[in-house]
Order: sequence, then C-alpha cells, then structure tokens
Amino acid sequence: MRGVAVLVLAAFAAPAAAQPPEGHGIAGFWNMGFGPMAPSRNPTPTEAELMSHFPEGTVVLTDTGLTEFPPGDYGGLAIHDALVEAAKDYDPESQTTVSLTCRPPGLIYSMQGPFPLEIFESRDIIVIKLEYFDLVRVIFMNETAHPDDWPASQTGHSFGRWDGETLVVHTASLSSGTLFNNGVDYSESVELIERFRLANANTLIVTQEFRDPGSFDGTAARVLSLTRGDDHVYPYDCDPAYGLALDGRQRPAASP
Amino acid sequence: MRKISPRALVGFVLATAAGAAAAHHSAALFYEVDGRTTVSGTVTEFRFANPHAILKFDVVGEDGAVQQWTAETTSPSILRRRGWSQQSFMPGEKVTLEGMPSIDGSYLMRITRAFREDGSEIGVPRGTDN
Repeated sequence: MRGVAVLVLAAFAAPAAAQPPEGHGIAGFWNMGFGPMAPSRNPTPTEAELMSHFPEGTVVLTDTGLTEFPPGDYGGLAIHDALVEAAKDYDPESQTTVSLTCRPPGLIYSMQGPFPLEIFESRDIIVIKLEYFDLVRVIFMNETAHPDDWPASQTGHSFGRWDGETLVVHTASLSSGTLFNNGVDYSESVELIERFRLANANTLIVTQEFRDPGSFDGTAARVLSLTRGDDHVYPYDCDPAYGLALDGRQRPAASP
Repeated sequence: MRKISPRALVGFVLATAAGAAAAHHSAALFYEVDGRTTVSGTVTEFRFANPHAILKFDVVGEDGAVQQWTAETTSPSILRRRGWSQQSFMPGEKVTLEGMPSIDGSYLMRITRAFREDGSEIGVPRGTDN
C-alpha cells in the first residue's frame, strides 16, 4: 500500500513540476494612461531606465495615448521626402469606407492608442490581446530569431527574453501601417523593440523603439505608461458599415 | 424638439471627447474638436458597435421642418465601461446631446455627453468608474 501511495503522489507531483514558473507580474489587464507621458513630462525612474536603452539620436515622440500629430507634423522624425510629398494628397475620409473602416491601423500605432490590453504570461509564450481591432500578439519566449519566411502581418513575428525584470521583445515581419494617422505609413522593413517593466504592481511602463529604412531615417521611440485594471479586454467586433451612416448625413437646405 | 444654440462648454470634458481626438477614425476629420453644441431631439435609431456608435435622431427646426441628425460616439468598448449599452437609447425617446459640431455644417455631431428627458445623464464621466 505504501508503494501505491508513493506512486499516486508522484503522479500528482509530475504535472505540477511541469507548470510554468511563476510569472514576472506583468500578466493582467492594463489601461493606457490618459495623462501626459514622457518626454512631455519628466520621466519616472523606471521610464528613465528604459529610455537609457534608446540609441543616441533617437527621436522620442510625444504623441502617445490621446495625443495625435496634425497633418504634416511627424514629431521631428526624418520622414523620407517622397512620403512627405505623398502625404499631402492623403484623404483621411478614406478611413471610413467599408473596405478600410475595420482595417487595423498597424501594430506600433495600435499599441500606443487609448485602448486597454491584456497580457497572458506563460513559460514559452506571452500573449498580448489588444482591445483595439481585436489584435492578438504572440511573443515566443523560446525563440531567439525571426524566421526568414514569416509572412508579413498586422502583428508580425515576435520573440522575447527577460533581461532581469525587463521583458525585451523584438518584432519584425509587420505589414505596413500608419505611423501617426496623418498619411505616412511605415514599410514592411520596420523593426520594433519593446521593453516592458513594472514600475510597481499597478503601473507597467512600455517603450517602443523602432527603425524603418523604408520610411524614415534614424530611430523613433515612444514611452507608454499603463495602469492595472480589474477587467478583461472586450471584443472589438468592428462594424465595417460605420462610415455609411456618415455618408448619408443630412445637410441644411440651401438658402433661396 | 428644438435645436439649442451652440455654446461653449467649460470645465470638465468627458473622455468621449478627448478619446475621439486620438482614434484611428480621427474626429478632426468631421468635427470642430474644440467646439461644443447642444442638440435635443427624438431617437430614431441607435447602433452600438465599434469603431463608433451611431445615433440617429430627429430635430424639429424653428421652421417646423424635421431635421434628420446623425451623432457618433467614441469607441463603444470604452463607453461600455462607462455604463453605455445598446439599450442606452430607444427609438422614440427624447434626448439632449452635447458634443462637437460638424465642420461642414451638416446635421452631424460627436457626442461628449448625453441626457435623458428627465435630465439624468447617460453613462458616467471618465474616472468615476474605471
């Protein structure tokens, strides 16, 4: 009987030993902060530490969260001349057509928008589900390079590693997406490095550092501050017919 | 119902206005984001779906003619956390809406606050529930 008891205990112990190690505390629901973010305000110590990884000359953008650059303003980034010229003909109303209304605007832009996200952490993968356009990212923690033949997509291919208490994520194979929602897109050559680090149990700091020789020179970056919430990300379930309601709007009758 | 003259709102502004400025389908495309107007009317249709909810309502103009208005909101997934739902507006209900006027003068607005006929507000201000 004692032998049977040992076997039973071993059978229960084995799955427990295979469970992923306890996470780093970033799992959960996070709201994007609504106030000004660095460098529009002084960085907090955690933000400053993460920003110290930016290469010299990096342009740190100030359009994080609710802020949005107007047409022609690229936050000091050296956008290629041809793209700046093309952006002069950009028609933002095209965003409300049936074919484009529900097309996600691109991962880099989406990550810094004013919508919540939810992080699921396990040993081999980390999943980030964005409420914005239902984007789902898988970060492979058991890979160290991008595959040569990964198809370009809205979320690309991501691998990550823990550098102490900082999650460092590399992403490539992104399909083109908007840089600033004002007419300039990044190209499929864009590469993104993100760093995630808890400032405290309820504050997650994220930096975006990205380069795209196809659309701008040098390195661009953003600093995001997220606050923990007790919730789940909701389905976005975008309705492509949204813009039709605007097309049919009534106007006052012309004066005689 | 009668359209009330446009007026500037001071003080607290809901996130429905601020959030709209940053959305992919930019509010600046259709609306005077710094302007405010107040319109009262009778609901004819409400569609609570992302990326923006659409409210249709009728307003009786000073000449007695019915104006068919369209109002949109910020993302319903954000508004849902502030107490909004598909049942927030029912056809036939009289409402008063505050928000951004359209740039082109059409009967279109971006809602920042909404009130029922008894004066109670639909949803709650940002920061009071999440």
